[in-house]
Amino acid sequence: MVAVQIVNGLMEGMMLFLIASGLTLIFGITRIVNFAHGSLYMLGAFLTYQLVSHFAPGSLGGFAASVLLAALAVAALGTLFEILVLRRIYGADDLMQLIITVALVLVLRDVVQMAWGRNDVVVQMPDALAGALRIGGSYFPVFQLAIFGAGLAVLAVMVAVIRYTRAGILLRAATDDRGMVALLGINQARIFTAVFAVGSFLAGLAGGLASPFGNINYLLDTTVIVTAFIVVVIGGLGNLYGALAAALAVGVLKGLGVLYYPRLSMVLIFLIMAGVLVVRSLGRQTVGK
Amino acid sequence: MRPAESSGAVQWRLVVPAVLGALALLATLGQGAALVITDVLIMVLFASSLNLLTSYGGMVSFGHAAYFGLGAYGLALPLAKLGLPLWAGLALGPLAAALGALAIGALCVRLTHIYFAMLTLACSEIVFTILFQAYDYTGGDTGITKFMAPRLGLDPRLYGALVLAIVSACLLLLWKVVRSPIGLAIRAVGEEPHRAAALGYSPRMVQLVAFVIAGTLAGVAGTLFAVYQGNAFPDYAGIGFTIDALVMVVIGGLHSFAGGVYGAVIYTLLKTFVSRYVTEWELVIGLILLAVVLVSPAGVAGGLGRLGHALGRRSA
Repeated sequence: MVAVQIVNGLMEGMMLFLIASGLTLIFGITRIVNFAHGSLYMLGAFLTYQLVSHFAPGSLGGFAASVLLAALAVAALGTLFEILVLRRIYGADDLMQLIITVALVLVLRDVVQMAWGRNDVVVQMPDALAGALRIGGSYFPVFQLAIFGAGLAVLAVMVAVIRYTRAGILLRAATDDRGMVALLGINQARIFTAVFAVGSFLAGLAGGLASPFGNINYLLDTTVIVTAFIVVVIGGLGNLYGALAAALAVGVLKGLGVLYYPRLSMVLIFLIMAGVLVVRSLGRQTVGK
Repeated sequence: MRPAESSGAVQWRLVVPAVLGALALLATLGQGAALVITDVLIMVLFASSLNLLTSYGGMVSFGHAAYFGLGAYGLALPLAKLGLPLWAGLALGPLAAALGALAIGALCVRLTHIYFAMLTLACSEIVFTILFQAYDYTGGDTGITKFMAPRLGLDPRLYGALVLAIVSACLLLLWKVVRSPIGLAIRAVGEEPHRAAALGYSPRMVQLVAFVIAGTLAGVAGTLFAVYQGNAFPDYAGIGFTIDALVMVVIGGLHSFAGGVYGAVIYTLLKTFVSRYVTEWELVIGLILLAVVLVSPAGVAGGLGRLGHALGRRSA
């Protein structure tokens, strides 16, 4: 039972990583805390729901194509928002930077309600991924295993890009020292736009991939963004590998928590988040910076 | 871009007409309007308490609703579960918020900027989750109801007048705080923590004082709200109320004492009236927020200030 919960937790953790990866990427480079990340996730889920209906019900290819198209559409929206709005407030007040994405949250929540109403919608699981796989005497849903694989694939692509491409070198440089990169004659604005596009794509992708899991509704944005904050903070803001470790750990903790202390598990996770922040501050001069 | 009120004196020529105007509206517009006005007044206090942190203390809290919620449950729990008398609940609400702000603030002021914001978020989510999950004590998401008559059983207009008196008193107190030596210390630490430290202030201690004052006043607002509604729900401590208050402060105008007031009035009235005609009131708020940030970063208060300056220059 414990082993099954751990495996389930790891699979949920990979889902959390998919959600958190875009958020931590955006923060690492632009220092923008994108509150709208949960809203972009929600939009990805709704768009997938809309697109899937144009394909044969239950077809794997149709589902994959829908998720990809939805993620691309979400990425386009994120890019537009970065160019039209965010670009004007880099370097502005702390609170301005923190609050501006809330505007997108409010707008998207109403847009989603206008387009799809207030009732839950359900995305049909692709037939090929329905059912369960028997491993070591326990059954594991194929769909979750597929999500786990998708998470690994996304991670592999991100790592490869960051390690081996010129874009990756620029990303790493911009994470370390934005000013220095600008001094070298690299167009910062273009990096920021690209990062926001990729981050939004990842949010939409996560929303699309997770869409057959549960009900999709207009309240999804808040739950998703809070969970994403937890993972990103525990993993270290802007730290991709940290986000992976934190996502898997939080997933397992949730899985085990459901088993032993269902009511305490969420409090425990927020306590860990607070503890990580406080412990990290201990070694740092906290005044100013 | 910091608050630049010219003198420490209370601007009675603004305050008196505002209070008298609110009283006149309460007296003449009937019971339904009185309910809306009371709602606005409570949000004015809530947003203004957050404004002390953001505009003066340089602290962006993502968990301010925790103290609003503690103010509500500090009233509701003792009344419903311990059978304490009403006056005790009215005192315990703000006290619970003050103690919560002291405990959480002591942790949070160790951090700055986004780390501070994230820690306030984590702490407020802990408060929310406890209220939500401790079903045996708090009733979970069904909340606590029927522990007292809503609005003390008073006519809405009378309760509105009572709230007006309390909120006005709290805002005067807040104004006095901002203009007092401790208020100047809060502003100094908010703007230049290193210089303030060099002058002999302990930035963390000053920030903690600001945090507790803001939390306590948010608690007063929460207690007033619980009396107004006659109930308490975990959502009062949730991220939704926190974001409401942040949006109010930004729309009203950062770095201005009146920012919280303007923001709360505009936000609450929009929410009440726009939602009567179209369901998409959040869309409207979102677009206003975008417009404020892009066109007039100092918010409505800043815009009015500039207008006042322009008019003054013309008449001079």
